[in-house]
Amino acid sequence: MAFLDNSGDIILDAVLTDTGRKRLARGDGSFNVAKFALGDDEINYGLYDKMHPSGTAYYDINILQTPVLEAFTNNTSTMKSKLVTISRTNLLYMPVLKTATSSGLQGVPGIPKSPSPTSGGTYMVATTTASATALGSSAFINGANPSSNQYQVAIDQGIDNSNRPATVPIDADLKETQYIVHMDNRLGTLTHPQNGTVASYSFLDDDNIATYYFTTSATTGANNGFAVNIGLHDPNTVPDLGNWTSLAGATGSRLGFAIKASANLADSDFLFDQIGLSSNFSTTGGDYRAVDSIIKIMGGTTGYSVEIPIRYLKKV
Amino acid sequence: MATTYKSLSTNDIVTTKTLLHEAIPITGTIVSGTYKTGDNEHNIKNYTHAMFQSVYDYPYLSSSANHIFDISAGVHSTSHVITASGGSAARTGLVQGLKKQNIYNQMAQVLMGYDSNNDIRLFDVDGDLNAGGTKIKEALFVNFSRLITKDEIKKGSFSMNLGMGVSFASASATGDSFRYRDSGATKSGVIKVYDKNAQNDYRVNSPAGDYGVLYASSSNADVLQNNDNADSAVGLIYYQAGIAVLDAGLFHNSDRSAHEPDKALSRGLLKSTLNDPHMNASGAAAQNEMGGIMVSASIPDVASAIRHRIQNIEFNNTTVLNSTVYFCRAHHNEFNYSTNPTYLAGSKLVVKNDASNTPVSYITTVGLYSADNELLAVAKVSEPLKKDPSNELTLRVRLDY
Repeated sequence: MAFLDNSGDIILDAVLTDTGRKRLARGDGSFNVAKFALGDDEINYGLYDKMHPSGTAYYDINILQTPVLEAFTNNTSTMKSKLVTISRTNLLYMPVLKTATSSGLQGVPGIPKSPSPTSGGTYMVATTTASATALGSSAFINGANPSSNQYQVAIDQGIDNSNRPATVPIDADLKETQYIVHMDNRLGTLTHPQNGTVASYSFLDDDNIATYYFTTSATTGANNGFAVNIGLHDPNTVPDLGNWTSLAGATGSRLGFAIKASANLADSDFLFDQIGLSSNFSTTGGDYRAVDSIIKIMGGTTGYSVEIPIRYLKKV
Repeated sequence: MATTYKSLSTNDIVTTKTLLHEAIPITGTIVSGTYKTGDNEHNIKNYTHAMFQSVYDYPYLSSSANHIFDISAGVHSTSHVITASGGSAARTGLVQGLKKQNIYNQMAQVLMGYDSNNDIRLFDVDGDLNAGGTKIKEALFVNFSRLITKDEIKKGSFSMNLGMGVSFASASATGDSFRYRDSGATKSGVIKVYDKNAQNDYRVNSPAGDYGVLYASSSNADVLQNNDNADSAVGLIYYQAGIAVLDAGLFHNSDRSAHEPDKALSRGLLKSTLNDPHMNASGAAAQNEMGGIMVSASIPDVASAIRHRIQNIEFNNTTVLNSTVYFCRAHHNEFNYSTNPTYLAGSKLVVKNDASNTPVSYITTVGLYSADNELLAVAKVSEPLKKDPSNELTLRVRLDY
């Protein structure tokens, strides 16, 4: 009789991230592992072949052969896609985060004016008043005075499939109630899309990546009102302005924010020289110095994330 | 409620302590000879203060060089090295007498501590401080680098082979440093200095931590006066400090009355029939025997003489690994979905044809998070692990400190 396979218990060696090392060095007890998450960054589920002629054992043969990279120690470079616990097993649709563009409705009160992505889907941020003046009426976020126009980044959460119609509520366990935003704090800060209130970040890591938290619940403090629920709507009729969304199916919540450019960008060319584009960017109003960055938005509950490309512009 | 994080309870976290050992072999050719051009040894570093000599595993001017150990020599103020023939008169021709005493006192106060009168204790041969007993008054110190000893030397693993051949030359009619000729036959002059049975027999009455007694043995019964027995204690090894203390009498004939200036040494541990090893190329006994060089040679010269006699050194080091193991348990109904962008096409799961299919996901990474969701540590699996409602996984993630 053969021996039983006892290899199911797996021992893994962990490496500290830069944030982990920083907290450990701080020595104030802030290094305290309280929870874990599982990630699948390397997996391409497009390789899952449900129609493989050899049967179910071969559906994931290509996925299981995926080589796995060693651990990154940069805390923002790993665990980008996490596994999710949903006790039900009969889900066929899951919610996503989708940038809301309302090009057909710009100017209508109550509708967030989300800039139409331009230049390869990148959102433009004017870093100075002169830059904003030069950009004129084009779609951009006024980083010098964020509340001066209605342009913002709006992210809608819900099911982007008409088979789950928007006229019925999204399942409660799939509705996002908390958003986590990572952005480069050297370049800018998040502001409220309407009143320009600068949001407070919770944590700034060693790479100057600021982490913001927003919830759909009303809170006291600077981060109130960034995340809101989206109600039911019928996309085939005249939209209820407050509930408009670019999602095709059931909707959950929305995160909206504008960006205030940092003084580093407004008052100095240093970062444009160091991390900016090598040549000037030409668009409405002439040539601009440009720095490209990304803002990562992640659902705190559902875990889904998107990365929004941002281009900071400064008139030459 | 969908969740991506799972809290760890006290039942999921355990701390362990593991001792990791590495074998450290130091060959004599590295210590003396390999990197030599004429009289210039490129891996040996001497200092203007001349208090000790450093040995590297490669020419020390190279960034690739690693520090292996330092050698120094010291004598107690009551040693005959300082006061000729036990009298009060200072030894004639004494070189670096004050520095040799300073080295002895420094090492003794760190390794042996102080007695009830706050006087520095002498190195004791058997570690029994209350019984008086034999003291090491002329000591050779081998201070191993932290780089190779790590947290401590493993008890019972230390050995050092030293050549007691009379001749200094590498090859001569009378043998060399490791062999000698007797009645026409070549015999081994190598002794092994080791911490015999120290894993079961060591001392803890030192301020510098645990230490063991070094004993000497030889395959040639004609070399040592006491071969591998309780009377053959020749030094001490301090495990946590990584320092070996050798009695300079190890290189000296037990018939101490026979020669001047050999009487400078308090002990003689070699067989009385064996002549003292020549510690350098000089001719007269006062210049080339251990008793002589402890008086008339500088500390670096004594160190060079010792290095010439080292055939090899071996020990196991110890690294204390404190680990925290996090048991990351993925139950059957957990982590079966993914937020991977490729997991959905138009919000529909690509791994399902219809809602009745079971979901599946694949694990490549385990992230350990703080309470405020900051990623503190990451562990990777070697290949993707399949997770679906039909299986459960316990991933043991170990974080070493």
